[in-house]
Amino acid sequence: MNNLRRFILKHHFVILFILLEVISILLLANSQRFHRNRMVNTTNDAVGKIYEWSSAVGNYFRLNTANEQLAEENALLRKQLSVVYDTTSSIYNVNESDTLYEYIPAQVVNNSTNQANNYIIINKGKSDGIERDMSVMSTEGIVGVVTDVSRHYASVMSLLHSKSVVGVRIKESQELASLKWETNNYRYGMVEDIPTHIILQKGDTILTSSHSYIFPEDLMVGTVEEFYPTAIDALNKAKIRFSTDFATLRHVYVIRDLHKPELDSLKARFQ
Amino acid sequence: MNKTALQIIRFVVLVLFQVLVINHIRLGGYVHPYIYLIFVMLLPFSTPKWQLLVLGFALGLSVDLFTGTPGLHAGATTLMAFCRPSIIKLVSGNQKFENINEPNLGQLGGIWFFRYALCLVLVHHFTLFLLESFSFRLIGQVLLRILLSVPVSIFLIMMIMFIFKSEKKRD
Repeated sequence: MNNLRRFILKHHFVILFILLEVISILLLANSQRFHRNRMVNTTNDAVGKIYEWSSAVGNYFRLNTANEQLAEENALLRKQLSVVYDTTSSIYNVNESDTLYEYIPAQVVNNSTNQANNYIIINKGKSDGIERDMSVMSTEGIVGVVTDVSRHYASVMSLLHSKSVVGVRIKESQELASLKWETNNYRYGMVEDIPTHIILQKGDTILTSSHSYIFPEDLMVGTVEEFYPTAIDALNKAKIRFSTDFATLRHVYVIRDLHKPELDSLKARFQ
Repeated sequence: MNKTALQIIRFVVLVLFQVLVINHIRLGGYVHPYIYLIFVMLLPFSTPKWQLLVLGFALGLSVDLFTGTPGLHAGATTLMAFCRPSIIKLVSGNQKFENINEPNLGQLGGIWFFRYALCLVLVHHFTLFLLESFSFRLIGQVLLRILLSVPVSIFLIMMIMFIFKSEKKRD
């Protein structure tokens, strides 16, 4: 026992170093696992608050652009709505039970685009009805998936994440493919597993597919920037430009799928 | 001012400056400067070794809290703190610091501090970017990140050190 104590005292520097490094690696390895199994909740109200204060300063200068964007979106929605309802009358007669999705508006308080794994922090949390695995979109297109919630804030795994995979659909041909991010540039993503007979042109539209369990169908993802056909008999790839500008992201919507509990219980029955 | 209070203020200011300002500067996908390391660089020579490690770990973890990457900065900064005593020996050779309290630019000179900072930043960035990719698969990208980020970090760190040096003289 005495020897052990002497050994620890003599080498305490190295022992403590190894201990701290092991803790770090364990924390890191845990955070890299699929988010559903995560032990440590990395979203924190105090951190959220500090980011919110800091972004409040920046928001003030962007009010004009934000207003314009929201007004444009309003006009677009009004136009779409007028196809179904007479928007001049005050009664729209929307049947509650027909709605599939609920949209919770939120503001981005912190956002990164230059890491290998980027997360976004938004100012809505558990108390606003946000839950893990809800999808997030902006007025321009999809943004990411909620991975962590605290009381008033939530972390969103952005599309700009090395583990992000989204089921997408090519608008013109209805073919399914999957979207990843590997280009190290916040403007571009990579659509993989495109069937060989499909040839894409620059400017072709990519939407979310109904097979993506997380995102609602037909949300805007981006447009094709460059098509990479493979010489061998493999699946093709295409570089796409995200329709969401992650660098200036401010206002987002968290999407609550009202049929998800039903879908989940159905899925559980088969497992 | 109380020395502990000064260290605490330095800690908080550097972490906030890193996560609220530096992390939001976009210099292309490969350049990620980190300046919060200054805190570990400036700890007094007399700091017990175990305190170096604990403070390094706490510093890294505070940054991790903001970036949502638990363990990443903590691991890299702990290793850097572990290397600090050897790096001080390596950089200064036979030089003795009898009247000098902490490794600063004013008393030890720009060249000494530059070499000291360069060694520490190299250790930190190398570990950080390697841990971040969590595999050797993207080793080319990782090396490019290190190659491009280290000069920017060093430049920012030296600039901050020069600003604080001139302020001290004015007092």
